[in-house]
Amino acid sequence: MESSDLYNVKQQFFLGAFKSLMDRGLPDPSSEDYTPILVYKARAHIAHGDAQTVSSLIPSDTENFALKAVSALASYVAGTGSTESALEELRDLCVEIEGDDVEATEREKGWVRAVAGTAFARAGEVEEALETLGAETATENLEAVAIIIQIYLSIHRPDLARKEFERSKQWAEDDLLLQLIEASIGLVTGKDGYSDSHSFYTEQLANPSLSSPHLLTARGVTRLLRGEIAEAKSDLEEAVSQQGGHEDAETLAASVVAAGLGPKKDGVEELWSRLASTYPNHPLVESVNAKAEQFDEFAAKYEIPPLAIPTAA
Amino acid sequence: MSVMLTKFESKSNRVKGLAFHPTQPLLAASLHNGSVQLWNYRMGVLVDRFEEHEGPVRAVAIHPSRPLLATGGDDYKIKVWDLRPQSRRCLFTLHGHLDYVRTVQFHHEMPWIISCSDDQTIRIWNSTSRNSIAVLTGHSHYVMSALFHPKEDLVVSASMDQTVRVWDISGLRKSTPNTAPGTFDTFDAFSTVKYVLEGHDRGVNYAVFHPTLPLIISAADDRQIKLWRMSETKAWEVDAFRGHFNNVSSAVFHPKHELVVSCGEDKTVRVWDLAKRSAVQTFRRENDRFWVLAAHPELNLFAAGHDNGLIVFKLERERPAFALHGDTVYYVRDKYVRSYDINTGADVGLLSVRRFGSPYVPPRTLSFNPAERAVLLTISSDNGIYELTNLPKDTVGEVKDSSVDGKRGVGQSAIFVARNRFAVLNKTTQLIEVCDLTGSVVKSIKPPVQTNEIFYGGTASLILSSTSSVVLYDIQQQKTIAELNSPPVKYVMWSQDNSQVALLSKHTITIASKGFAQNTLIHETIRIKSGAWDDAGVFVYSTLNHVKYCLPQGDHGVICTLDNPVYLTRVKGKTVHCLDRSARPRTITIDPTEYRFKLALTRNNYDEVLYLIRTSNLLGQSIIAYLQQKGFPEIALHFVEDKNTRFDLAIECGNLDVALETAKAIDRPECWARLAQQALKQGNHKIVEKAYQQTKNFDRLSFLYLATGSTDKLLKMQKIAEARGDPMSRFHNALYAGDVPGRIAVLREVGLYPLAYLTAKTNGLEDLATEILEDAGLTEADVDDVPDFGRASLKPPPVVTATTNFVWPAIPGGESFFDRALANGNLEAGAEPHLNGERAAAAASSALDDWAKDEEEQDLAADEDGWDLDAGGDAHAEEESVEGEAQEEQEELGAGATPGPSETEIWTRNSPFAGDHVAAGSFDSAMQLLNRQLGIVNFAALKPLFLSVYRSSHTYLSPIASLPPLELHLRRNPAESSLSRVLPVAVVTLRQARSELAEGFRFVSGNKLSDAQTTFRSVLQSLLFVVASSNDEAKEWRDTVTTAREYLLGVSIELERRRVAQEQPDSVQRSLELAAYFTHCKLQPPHMQIALRSAIQVFTKANNTATAAKFARRLLDLNPDPKIVAQARQRIAAGDRNPRDAVEIAYDEFTEFEICAASYTPIYKGSPAVRCPYTDAAFLPEFKGSLEPLTRLTEIGAVATGLPAPR
Repeated sequence: MESSDLYNVKQQFFLGAFKSLMDRGLPDPSSEDYTPILVYKARAHIAHGDAQTVSSLIPSDTENFALKAVSALASYVAGTGSTESALEELRDLCVEIEGDDVEATEREKGWVRAVAGTAFARAGEVEEALETLGAETATENLEAVAIIIQIYLSIHRPDLARKEFERSKQWAEDDLLLQLIEASIGLVTGKDGYSDSHSFYTEQLANPSLSSPHLLTARGVTRLLRGEIAEAKSDLEEAVSQQGGHEDAETLAASVVAAGLGPKKDGVEELWSRLASTYPNHPLVESVNAKAEQFDEFAAKYEIPPLAIPTAA
Repeated sequence: MSVMLTKFESKSNRVKGLAFHPTQPLLAASLHNGSVQLWNYRMGVLVDRFEEHEGPVRAVAIHPSRPLLATGGDDYKIKVWDLRPQSRRCLFTLHGHLDYVRTVQFHHEMPWIISCSDDQTIRIWNSTSRNSIAVLTGHSHYVMSALFHPKEDLVVSASMDQTVRVWDISGLRKSTPNTAPGTFDTFDAFSTVKYVLEGHDRGVNYAVFHPTLPLIISAADDRQIKLWRMSETKAWEVDAFRGHFNNVSSAVFHPKHELVVSCGEDKTVRVWDLAKRSAVQTFRRENDRFWVLAAHPELNLFAAGHDNGLIVFKLERERPAFALHGDTVYYVRDKYVRSYDINTGADVGLLSVRRFGSPYVPPRTLSFNPAERAVLLTISSDNGIYELTNLPKDTVGEVKDSSVDGKRGVGQSAIFVARNRFAVLNKTTQLIEVCDLTGSVVKSIKPPVQTNEIFYGGTASLILSSTSSVVLYDIQQQKTIAELNSPPVKYVMWSQDNSQVALLSKHTITIASKGFAQNTLIHETIRIKSGAWDDAGVFVYSTLNHVKYCLPQGDHGVICTLDNPVYLTRVKGKTVHCLDRSARPRTITIDPTEYRFKLALTRNNYDEVLYLIRTSNLLGQSIIAYLQQKGFPEIALHFVEDKNTRFDLAIECGNLDVALETAKAIDRPECWARLAQQALKQGNHKIVEKAYQQTKNFDRLSFLYLATGSTDKLLKMQKIAEARGDPMSRFHNALYAGDVPGRIAVLREVGLYPLAYLTAKTNGLEDLATEILEDAGLTEADVDDVPDFGRASLKPPPVVTATTNFVWPAIPGGESFFDRALANGNLEAGAEPHLNGERAAAAASSALDDWAKDEEEQDLAADEDGWDLDAGGDAHAEEESVEGEAQEEQEELGAGATPGPSETEIWTRNSPFAGDHVAAGSFDSAMQLLNRQLGIVNFAALKPLFLSVYRSSHTYLSPIASLPPLELHLRRNPAESSLSRVLPVAVVTLRQARSELAEGFRFVSGNKLSDAQTTFRSVLQSLLFVVASSNDEAKEWRDTVTTAREYLLGVSIELERRRVAQEQPDSVQRSLELAAYFTHCKLQPPHMQIALRSAIQVFTKANNTATAAKFARRLLDLNPDPKIVAQARQRIAAGDRNPRDAVEIAYDEFTEFEICAASYTPIYKGSPAVRCPYTDAAFLPEFKGSLEPLTRLTEIGAVATGLPAPR
């Protein structure tokens, strides 16, 4: 049984309350919770785009596999040093924890796999990620399952995702993370008109123990998917205000979409240019830019005849 | 009683004892040769044999509730056997009798066995302790039978001492006596003789109690059967049945009816009326004396054993006479006509037919006339009679008897053929008489064939059943319409819609269409009992032990098994309504999925097929085999988990993706070989390559690379061959790759210097040639006798098309309805399609329509593929794999982790609208669609719209920290979760376009014409992305396009006029013309007023007062402001005063005309014009092929298909 502190930390981490998790102090290093909380805190930093700070959080000489893995992920995400070396390090760690005499708890091994899987997935190494995370095996590492499922969803295999989900339902009871997984599957498949996802995020927004603009954004996105544009806008605006006016990429991107679907399309271009300039690496920006190039290419295939001008008018 | 229906016969040694199994169709027969047979009389098979007795076995019995068999033989032994199929063996033997054992019987509740013997005793045994517990002594001769009373503690015995004795054994039950051996004498105290029945003059062979009444029947060698009655205190002879002319072996009570059945050595089985003591029926056998008779405890079934075997027979037909009308079954039970409503279950007696024919015989057929509410019954007694009776309107009170007002006549077969006509067949005279309802004959027909039975054959037609054929006969024309060869047809069932008919014979079913045009024949080895049509057009029928189905084209199969035969009346959905053998309505719930599935398949009703796949658990080898056999391997593929089968199926239906996936999972050389073969057929050389790599088929691989022109890979193959140390392969590859030095190197290495030398020489590599010569230790001089071969022209063919990068030319991926519908394993429940009756046809045709639509879409998709030459990633990955040792293939993906179709792909598949394709990001296909549907060629202006539509259809969310966000897709039908129907969000809606249009109107009113022009142009651009979802919307879309076009045209004309007025002030004529044309654009009244006023103004200025006045009149028609009215009247007055025009212009207001949108000149009705494929704007023919100037999007006069139908 984990302590309530750790539970709380995990909850914050999974529900995207990275900011509050980052601001949180660490327990006494001798405490049992020290490492786990440090792992999550560091991962929150990474997730929040603040990967550089991790090096100051985790001592470079740590012997702990999980922490090593997290710092490798941090350096991979931050892009400091060679990304390939960070991946190699994670690969090594994954191999090491398979050894018999390794001094790591199952939980730590789980983190290593989850962290490594995350990195591999980011690197586009889908198969490697799935293998590391133990897809199609009877893994009982819910974090790994969560990542596996997201990977499946990203490669358009909701059937496999659901299968994995159904399997984990048998042992993971009603874990928060499991519900989150279900919500993500719902978002992709649109099962029952996105009702699972919508109620999950609404429920978590009412969760008194944390507040996270990420949840608001997520519900906003869900509402977008449900076709409730006005409601989605209000969620997204609320999320922006919770983020102190500096919206993250996700919220901004969702706002662009929401504005684009509104009855009056004003403000879209402004939002869009802000998104494009602030987060040029956001997939929406990248894909729209790619499409723009494609457009020119495809449009060029059509021969445009001369304009019909009256000759003898 | 005119029939004794033999159900089963066997040939064997003399049968001395018989016993029915109470629940299963089993019969035990003990034979004179010492064997005991166990028959399944329904299937007609010998189930088992028990052969441990020595000498004849006379006694046999089956336990009423437990699987036990008892036999007693001339070896004095009684054996008890286990009857369970898996352990049929002798359990124990009871020793004690000192002479032949004659009969044995189990007690119905106590663990007792009673036996009697020629040792003049009756013994009762405890089968648990396996001891004799009582010996009944008193008979002074052989005891021929001894049987328990079915309920009371009595025993009846028959003996050669000419007596029948009834014993009281109640003492036996009260206290179990000492069963220790050697205490023989104490038994007698417990069982005493109650009555001694004397009356027979000879030995008595058999005596048995009546199952319910206090009656005994006995059969004796004095050729008599005697009936005895008993009371509490005494028993006496009631009467004797006389008729047998030799020893009577046995006599039994009929378990249900007041009948006695007997058999004897006079080779007869006789049936007697218990009340009248008169013979009812006699069944004679030529040579065989009957020795034993047994009655089934429950059923109308008897068995008799004779010298050469046994027979099992029924005394009457069980099949109740019935007719179905709508959801009501009219049937006969216990000589009452009843109706049974299958919806409510209401079952009421309507009419008594007790006095119709023989009281023992139930009516044979019933025909129902709904118009008159009359029934026509036939009965086989009295040589066949019929009776026509009206059913009472209400069933209050006692039901009437048909004899009151029924009309009777002679005939073996009688049916209604019309509302007021019925037909009667007289078999002996071979005459069919058609009668009116009063019974008078209106027409006589001589049937063309020997007719045994007649059936309704559709309007004014009869179906005549003869011994070898069945004839469809037209009553009116008196001629044969059609004739089918068939065994005698016994029953005929018409389908609900009377389009098909099932003709049932004993072992065959013929399903024929209405006029017997098409037909299929089904054979059954088991007797066919009855049948009924399902609402969907499937014939469901029952045999002795199965309910089966049969599809119109002849496929048939088992639905469920039956314990006892039933007579099907109606099949509704999952429920089969039937009458059981005692004519009680029953229902059987069946699973119709299998036949509905097959029916849907044969009718190409794919919606239904899909629905069934989704909702039911259709699995199993049989379905898979069926699908495969019927040519639907791609559907079967969706059912199969087993990878080997999957592979086979995938190869069969050419689904290379699945085949590849499974081949990887199986990973056996023969699979790869087959995959390679199939992929080669389809031209998918990438898969071929993979397969060859897997099997390390280097030779073929090299040749494949040659064929596809993949030179770099050939070089790699060369390296691999080098690594493998296979010079032949190296040589090949070098040859294929055109690598001359490589070739020479190989030849040198293997020591083929002459070849190496010549190769070098003929390729002009003189230095190398010299080198080789040196290696070979020769000089030029040594080879001067070698002729000069000239320059070698051997070269690999040049690569024309880089086939290596494409999978081309591939057989178009046969993506079927099912692939799409089942894509992604998405088998969520869809809406249930209608199936019943005629609706099925409509469903089928609409399914076909969908199919056709799919085809269209597929074409599109295929086109796309053609353009989208995705040569990037894949080829790359493979190169790597070749590089590393060639066998080290790409890492296997987790079993199913190949990416599925993305949502955007699904969108493009699901929609033929450009707007949806844009949202899906498939700009390429969107442009094709726009081009094809609306003739758009100039896309540049649409770029922002394309991008904003695309941008607004996708959003991103990262549920899991640090992972790349998930791309989510906005659907316009969020309630829809079936991937085959999801569509992208409507970014541009018709409403938005119309509000933009309204904005344009405001610009017009505000005289901001160039703004208006831009706005209308943009409206027309936006409208391209609107997806109409209904016909109304499609119409509204078209109206909006037309309005926008008219305004755009009008505004453009007016702008042109202003330009002309400003730049060429002299060109008054042109200016006037344009002003006039402007008034001919279809504008809304307020805007029309503006146009007219402006025209009036311009014309007045030019002194064209007459035309100005005309415009003013048109203005008045629009009911403008009073102020404007006043002005207009002024102009009219001026025009009247001065009715002439100063400037002559090209304007004929009286002839209808359109305005060329390029030259702004009129195109009068009837003159040739070309049109904009999008807006339908008209142009002079000379502008054909130019860019349309209004919208600047289309090519004038281009051919376009228009928008597809909304969906």
